[in-house]
Formats: sequence, structure tokens, C-alpha cells
Amino acid sequence: MGGFRNNLSIEQKKYLHDLKIDKIKVMLAQALLLIGFLVLWEVLVNKGVISAFIYSSPSRIIKTIIELIKNHNFFIHIYITLKEVFISFVLGIVLGFIIALILYEFKFLAKVIDPFLTMLNSLPKVALGPLIIIVCGANIKSVILMALLINLIVNIITIYNGFIGVDEYILKLFKTLGASKWQILTKLVIPSSYQTIIASFKLCTSLTLIGVIMGEFLVSKSGIGYLIVYGKQVFNLNYVMTGIILLGIISYILYKLIIILENKLLKHL
Amino acid sequence: MNDLLEVVNLTKNYHTKKGEIEAIKNINFKINEGEIISLVGPSGCGKSTLLSIIFGLDKDYKGKVIKKDNLKIAYMLQSDALLPWLTIYENAILGLKINKILTKENLDYVNYLFNFYNLSEFKENYPKNLSGGMKQRVALIRTLALKPDLLLLDEPFCALDQQSRLMISDDVYKIVKKEGKTVILVTHNIEEAVSFSDRVIVLSKRPSEVKNIVHIDFKNKSSIYERRKDSNYHQYFDKIWEDLEIT
Repeated sequence: MGGFRNNLSIEQKKYLHDLKIDKIKVMLAQALLLIGFLVLWEVLVNKGVISAFIYSSPSRIIKTIIELIKNHNFFIHIYITLKEVFISFVLGIVLGFIIALILYEFKFLAKVIDPFLTMLNSLPKVALGPLIIIVCGANIKSVILMALLINLIVNIITIYNGFIGVDEYILKLFKTLGASKWQILTKLVIPSSYQTIIASFKLCTSLTLIGVIMGEFLVSKSGIGYLIVYGKQVFNLNYVMTGIILLGIISYILYKLIIILENKLLKHL
Repeated sequence: MNDLLEVVNLTKNYHTKKGEIEAIKNINFKINEGEIISLVGPSGCGKSTLLSIIFGLDKDYKGKVIKKDNLKIAYMLQSDALLPWLTIYENAILGLKINKILTKENLDYVNYLFNFYNLSEFKENYPKNLSGGMKQRVALIRTLALKPDLLLLDEPFCALDQQSRLMISDDVYKIVKKEGKTVILVTHNIEEAVSFSDRVIVLSKRPSEVKNIVHIDFKNKSSIYERRKDSNYHQYFDKIWEDLEIT
């Protein structure tokens, strides 16, 4: 775009410098907050203010991780959980996209199933746990189905709302240009829903994690959810806290990956 | 002059749960080749509906729209309706792409229009980096790229500031005159109608009927600026204003 000066003025340099400083300040504050929290946690446990047995401590969590690595269980738990998250996430997005597309093309069907979608969306899926285990067995399939049931309805509703929210002027423009239904779908409806689709990715990530952990609580023999349940059963709450910390790290990384995708896909919007 | 299009006893009613609304009632007019006409009327009187019917987007009406054989019609909307994920060049050739007519001749014409409107250096920019006036020019190129015989302009300048509005309407005026296009302009702006068209059709409020047809004739028609300087300009303005006020 024209209009920008080639050589940077002193004011412009100062403006860019201030932006950079501001960013560094925010990052430093975030790091300090995290470190402060961990130090406070460790100190409170060591001074006996809070129970080490119930709340564990950062040093105990590190020891637990080292122990899990030595037992070769650490990466297996993470791998299993990530695998379940990945499969449920992809299935949820793909199925959600396809079903939303069908509902967009068949408005009558959309009207018919609207109340059922709303009902399914508000149904606590954990109530379906026993049924899922009986149908799929006590294996990874049950975990994936649980996660899928939790993320799919939200994906369908979010993506469908994106499709029907297309700017009516642009829709009219496509009609005046003589576009076919297929062209309207592929050149307008889907591209203009990128923002909503990315929003559904974000929602889907957290819902999938919830679903996978819920599924692992119910049936699994490995995975981070299993580690937490196991910790509770053997009354070793270091496992529970380690599991929670790992989940926090995983959800942060997944969220960051989606932000990168969002910046790539939506950079011109 | 040859008739390009004729609207005969056109009536349009809307159906709602509460009842039937008469939008357009028994409208008749003709348009000749190379003529520019404006449809002026109070807002909500059905001007845009009339354009949709003429274009063929709305088929639910009574009466007839008689078009010359193989008449190519293009429609320009109130908003520029540019796709934000495409560059302005990709936006400009969207109609050609959709109709699968990306021929060298058509692309050359698009390039010519980009030069004509001083937009060549911005081809690879995205719409968010352009001013309202520039975006509307791109929308105009997208419309003209299809080389229509008849241009339907649905308040295409209404979202622009006064300066851009005058510039863009003059751009459109010059190119349609140069290329002998026929135009139907829908506007609620009397100044725009008088400075732009050969005939102004004044419509009444809903249900819309033809209130009056004012023939505009200026000595110097080279640009809308020249037309605005004509001594009769204000007489035409006042006449249409009166017609609109008593409706």
C-alpha cells in the first residue's frame, strides 16, 4: 500500500520502540506472575501453611515427572491423550463442517432438527458415559466418542451460524454475477466463514480436551486423565497435580497453534 | 432510437404474516439504447425492488419486463461488496471468473480500466487498504468487466463522502457516455439524478407509481460538473423536488 514513508523518522522509530518495550513488559509481567505463583506455592507448602499431601508442590511435581520419565510412562500418557485429542478434534471439525454444510443446503432439514440440536447441546454428555462404554467397550473408542459428542454439536451450530451469516449484499452480488449454487458455496460461503471456522477450532480444542479427560476418567488405562484418576485412587496427589499442570501446558500449546493458523488464514481480513 | 427494455404494468406485492403489502403499482416506462435514466423516490418506495425485477433476480411480480434479445445486464450495488480475502484485481475479475470468460481480450479491458481509474499500482492490495472511493471504483470495474449493454446502478454512490461521490459519479458518467452504455440509476439524491441522467422518473411513496417523467437537456453534457453549471440545472431540481414533496 502506498502512503508510507520509506525512511523512518525519529518519532516513528520511537513509536516502534515503545511498542516493543510494551510487549516485553507484558511478557516479563506474565513470567513474573508465573514464577511468583510457583515460588509462593513451594514456600507455603514448605512452611506447612498448606498441605503438601493435598496440594503437592512444584518441586514434588518435577520429581514426579522425573519418576514418570524413568518408568517410561510419562510420554505414553501424553502421547495417548494427544492422540485422542487429535482424532476427536479432526473428526469433530470434519463432521461438524459437513453437517453444517448439509443444513445450509437443506434449509427444511435445518428447521426440522433445530430444536433437537439445541436439546443435544444442553444435554450433559457425561450422562451418556455408561451407554458409551456398553456400546464401544472400555477402550480408546469410548474416549473418542465421548469427546466427539461434546465438541460436535457446538461445531455444527458455530459453523452453520457462520454459513448463514454471509453478507447479504455480497450474496446478492454473486447472484447478479450469475454464480451457480456451487460457486456461491465455494467462492463465498466457505471463505467468508473462515473467521467462524477458526472460532469453532478454538472452542473445539477446549471441548475436546474436556471430553477426552472425561472419557479417560471413565474407561482408560493410560493418558493424563488416567494419571489423575490413578493418583486419586492411590492417594498420591502429586500425580493429580502433575496431570493438571500437563493439561494446562497442552491446552496452551494447542491454543497457540490455532492462533498461528488464524494469523495465516485471516491476515487479509 | 431503439427500445432496449420496456416495463409494462409492473406490480409487485410483498406477502407477510400480517398481510399483503403493495410495493409497486402499475409502473410503465421504456428505455432507449444509450440513454441514462434515474429512478427517484422516497426511501422504501421500491426502487431497488424494481431493479431486482428488471435484472431477473426477483421473479415474483405481475406485468411484463420486455428485454431486447441477448441483452447483457450488470448490476452495481449500494455497497462495494468487495471480498476482503481477495486482492482488488482478483475482485475486479470475479465476474469474469464466475462466468468462465477470462479471455485475453477481457483481461486487457480490465487492465485498461485499472489504468483509466489510476488503480494499476494498487492491484495487489487488499480492499481494507483502500479508501471508500477507490473500493467503489473497483466495484465499477468488476461491473464493467462483463461488458454489459445495460447497467443497473442501485445507489452506488450513497455510502461515499461528497467529494468521492462527485468524483466517482463523474467517472461512471464519462465511461458510460464514452462506451454508449445504457444506464438505470436508482437514487434518492435529486442533484445526482439531474446531473447524471437524460430522464428522471419520479416515483411516489409506497405503493410506488410513476409520478412524473422529467426530460433533462443541457447544452454541455461532457461531465457532471458541466451539467451542474447549466442555467437550467436548478429548474430541473426544483421541479423534481416539487414532485417528490407532494407525493
